[in-house]
Amino acid sequence: MVGAFEQALLALMIFVIMLGMGASLTPRDFYLALKRPQGLAIGLISQYGFMPFIGFLLITFLPLTQALAIGVLIMACMPGGTTSNIFTYFSKGNLALSVLMTVTSTVFGVVLIPVILVLYAAALDLQIPRENIIATLILLLVPVAIGMILRRLNANVGAVTEFMGSMLALFFIAFIALSWIPRNWQFLMTTTPDTYVAAIGLGLFGITIGYGFARLLQLHPRNARTVALETGIQNGPLAIAIIAFTFAGDEAQSYMAVPALYSLFIVITSTLVTLIFRRANTAAEQKLPDGLL
Amino acid sequence: MKNPDRPWTAFYGPDVRKDIGEPAYRNLPDMIRSVAETYGAARAFTCCLPNGMNGTLRFDQLDDMSDALAVYLREVAGLSAGDRVAVQMPNSLSFPIAAFGILKAGCVLVNVNPLYTAEEMAKQFEDAEPQALIIVDMFADKIPAATRGHPVPNVIVTRVAEFFPAMPKGIVGLVQKYWDRSVKPIEVPHIRLPDALDAGRSHIAKDRIEVHGYHQTVTTDDIAVLQYTGGTTGVPKGAMLTHGNLVLNTEQAIELFGSDLEKGREVILTALPLYHIFAFTVNFLAFYRLGARNILIPNPRPLSNLKRAVENYRITWMSGVNTLFNGLSNELWFLDTPPRHMKFAGAGGMALQSSVAARWREITGTEVMQGYGLTETAPVVTFEPPGKSREGTIGIPVPSTEVACFGEDGTPLKRGETGEIGVRGPQVMKGYWKKPDETANVMNGAWFLTGDIGFMDDDGYVRIVDRKKDLVCVSGFNVYPNEVEDVLAAHPAVREAAVIGVPDASTGEAVKAFIVSNDRSLDADAVRAYCKEHLTGYKVPKKVEFREDLPKSNVGKTLRKDLRAEDQARTDAG
Repeated sequence: MVGAFEQALLALMIFVIMLGMGASLTPRDFYLALKRPQGLAIGLISQYGFMPFIGFLLITFLPLTQALAIGVLIMACMPGGTTSNIFTYFSKGNLALSVLMTVTSTVFGVVLIPVILVLYAAALDLQIPRENIIATLILLLVPVAIGMILRRLNANVGAVTEFMGSMLALFFIAFIALSWIPRNWQFLMTTTPDTYVAAIGLGLFGITIGYGFARLLQLHPRNARTVALETGIQNGPLAIAIIAFTFAGDEAQSYMAVPALYSLFIVITSTLVTLIFRRANTAAEQKLPDGLL
Repeated sequence: MKNPDRPWTAFYGPDVRKDIGEPAYRNLPDMIRSVAETYGAARAFTCCLPNGMNGTLRFDQLDDMSDALAVYLREVAGLSAGDRVAVQMPNSLSFPIAAFGILKAGCVLVNVNPLYTAEEMAKQFEDAEPQALIIVDMFADKIPAATRGHPVPNVIVTRVAEFFPAMPKGIVGLVQKYWDRSVKPIEVPHIRLPDALDAGRSHIAKDRIEVHGYHQTVTTDDIAVLQYTGGTTGVPKGAMLTHGNLVLNTEQAIELFGSDLEKGREVILTALPLYHIFAFTVNFLAFYRLGARNILIPNPRPLSNLKRAVENYRITWMSGVNTLFNGLSNELWFLDTPPRHMKFAGAGGMALQSSVAARWREITGTEVMQGYGLTETAPVVTFEPPGKSREGTIGIPVPSTEVACFGEDGTPLKRGETGEIGVRGPQVMKGYWKKPDETANVMNGAWFLTGDIGFMDDDGYVRIVDRKKDLVCVSGFNVYPNEVEDVLAAHPAVREAAVIGVPDASTGEAVKAFIVSNDRSLDADAVRAYCKEHLTGYKVPKKVEFREDLPKSNVGKTLRKDLRAEDQARTDAG
């Protein structure tokens, strides 16, 4: 059950998170993305090619209920989340690339997500509220645009908004942990391990396949780490928001199970992956001799 | 018409004065005040952090704040004219306030590298005996160890985001304190810079103090700045730069560019640290004088830290060292969207590689003009004239400056002959602080001998062929082999050590240590880690080689030149 207050809070949080995403951008970032279409293509393929397919395989091979399966599918089709930027930063990845992938996947998501959802839902014979999802996605572009304008008007307001946005993305996890888990304790204790496999596997397989794909294309290790995290880390808050605004009452709780569990576990998965990445070879980074400062 | 004595003046642009003559101001405070009156409400300094958070000071604000600091130093801290005040901070809005406040108080500014270890600070403080220290909070934990035995009575503490709007300042403060943990508790009595300014302001209001009174008797010949450079013995030497040196060198540095520099319209990117003489005179003083807006970068590493500054401001000028230009040319974001309003870039500190200059031209469509100078010459001596640079040279002498080469016996050589480069002009320092013998060593009458070996062609273009001293130039910073050797020799497992400079693709030269040790377990990483504890990063040997013995002269002096030749031969062979 999601109360009116929590729904409002959720809306506010996602608004600020998207505002922060917009504030990290300038129009020239889009220009650059288009100038290097292969980068854009890699991002879109891993985000909307691999992730939904991983979701599809999980649904096919795990005996999940209809509600859980819809949760997995929506989660798998989401664009990249802003938390990926934080993890990219700490794993010494390419922060600019991460920000760009997150944003382009969000912008292109408006068109791609409904198409992919409909395709997979038909294949899996699942009922999904298509119009609702499209409306939510379009609505989300409003704060992104406002964020971009804020940045343009005042660099300080932009930087503060950006900072708040990524911090809030982390607080969101705490919000889920505090508001959703206690009320669904019973469900979490009784549900089959398959639910957990799906929630954890989506992120873990996403990161692994993203990394393999990037290495296969001979991307620089720094960029490969970025693509990996970007692929595996989805916009959890967005999935939860879409479900909260689409389904009502107890129904929503079970649809939300996988996105909520995913959002919690992806933090753990990403932290572990970040630790591994940090140890990986960073020698190729452009090193500056000490004399400059 | 070629002037046979100064043939290079033929390469000056039509609007460039051949001789600058008398300084336009008697001292720096007069210059600072006059510029502030002209540009008043325009933006003077903007400090831009990697995430785009920023703070700005206008010319009039800076003038008021530096007045307040001057009054604080004189009335509250009790300093007198001529007292030294050390400043130790990365580029930030506090730097111009501190520097101008000290000068207006009639005191002497001592620039200190903020990354110095406590030992290195102690050496400099011992020599300069500063009565006050203005330091950034991140490095204030070194004060107790650095001032043991020679206390600094007044400590003023500032922070990187000082004078930013409240929100970014708060966020930066919280992140530094709890996330980076870069701000440690300060164990000495101190006052915060904003509080010191408040105290100064209340004195101005109460006692109707005229700041002008502090410096009205200061003349061109009085010391403005003690700029330290390591001595050949590893003991720091403070070059006494006078008000006249600096007032004139700010003019000399930019004169060659003539009308390419528009008063009140330029925006300069300052990624080099202001405590270094190049950025201090050229970026800080000369561009302030032009009424430019100065974009200060506290920490340019990694280079992506510059991205927001390049995106958010219309940069028209920047200065840098070879390393910086080379690094930027390898950054994707810079390649894709280089600054569009750039006119020129100025390079100094170390030789600019022609491949780097060519690549820069290709990316930005503008030239990097190379200059040459030394701490002792405030610093600018030569610059490439716009559009008339010649490969392999460091350009021609700036106006009112003479360059000549001298033989071993100190006699002037004919043009074209190779010898030690000497400089004569209004920018040559008054001498080394409290070191008349060292001063005598480098002066030949009015000529300052640079220690660089080179020659001047018939047109007045200067080429450097070698360095006389053993010093190593790492990315524009001088490293004195003796200092590093002393540190190495103090290691219990090191029997003997010698240090030389070796060519390095990214830093021009790099420090290489040769070590004789009895302890087989000692390795290069351990040596470097040990050096890092005692020396600033750029002095730490990049390469370490273990040997059975070191080449020695008859009297037992280590022959660095043999090590250099040996190293060179091996590089060539392999």
